[in-house]
Amino acid sequence: MIWLVMIVCGLLTLSMRFVMFSDLAPRQLPGWLEEALGLVPVAVLTAIIVPAVIISPEGGLILAGNSKLPAALVAVTAALVTRSVLATIASGLGSMWVLEYFLY
Amino acid sequence: MNTSATSRHDEFWAGVRAELPLQLGVAPFGLVFGVLGLASGLSAWETILMSSIVFGGASQVVFAQLWGGGVPAPVVGASVSVINLRHVLYSASVAPYLRSLPLRWRVPLAYLLTDEAYAVTINRLRDEPPSPNQHYHLLGTGMTLWICWQVTTVMGVVFGATIPESWSLGFAIPLTFIALVAPAIRRRADLAACLTAGTIAVVGQPLPWKGWIILAAVGGILAGWLVHRHDRRRTAS
Repeated sequence: MIWLVMIVCGLLTLSMRFVMFSDLAPRQLPGWLEEALGLVPVAVLTAIIVPAVIISPEGGLILAGNSKLPAALVAVTAALVTRSVLATIASGLGSMWVLEYFLY
Repeated sequence: MNTSATSRHDEFWAGVRAELPLQLGVAPFGLVFGVLGLASGLSAWETILMSSIVFGGASQVVFAQLWGGGVPAPVVGASVSVINLRHVLYSASVAPYLRSLPLRWRVPLAYLLTDEAYAVTINRLRDEPPSPNQHYHLLGTGMTLWICWQVTTVMGVVFGATIPESWSLGFAIPLTFIALVAPAIRRRADLAACLTAGTIAVVGQPLPWKGWIILAAVGGILAGWLVHRHDRRRTAS
């Protein structure tokens, strides 16, 4: 079953990458659609980031004593300053480990 | 049109060279996906082959987490689709340069059209003189990323079991996304999309089947789009 779902997801992904290469595709996307698609990464990724930082595996909100929250804020700063994926991951993981070790 | 006949070889290797530095971001993500796939309850083969069947980092992470959480298949498919919708934009942007190629080229190049390959190749297509062999550039960037993604996924699967749980390496996934999202918030519309999606993702937690992923994504896109329309009308008037 998982293989079937995986293959369908793969075909869906491929077709979204291919769609405008098709002979039947319009030359250009309509403006409103282009604007909406431009917002997909920010919306989708934020929807994954926020729960990964402040929601427990059981689905509850965790703010107090949560080392991931300050670590994520450090990472946001690092991302804005350095624009480097590696520096962002390193600063976020590093500050989480430091906080876990000394504070919590 | 001013065409300069660059060779296939030069285009391909220019793509490979330009793509290599970005692997600093791709490699840790691949490793973490390998680790996370197993942690979510997928088998080693399921995790490894997903990297070539789906071949889209964020959507693979969500697939593994949803599948591991017992979410029904249609919701998994819909979530993966929403996440990968952005590729339609890349497809539209690259299409004018590739549309004349035969299908046996267009299909594999579409398969290789990931965020990082697009980001590099579009610069070459836009800024440098057209060449009949320019599609080899995308082949170069795409294959570089593909190989890096497959190799690091396998490494993550192989070494994943030896990494202590207390390292919380899974946290590298939201951190990777922070690296992509934070610099991308430039306009009020982006901020609206971000805040709306984040809020829905939190308050939507009680929804069944992790439905908050789709709802937050669609809500964020809609909010950002409305703000964009509003702002543009104001600047126009």
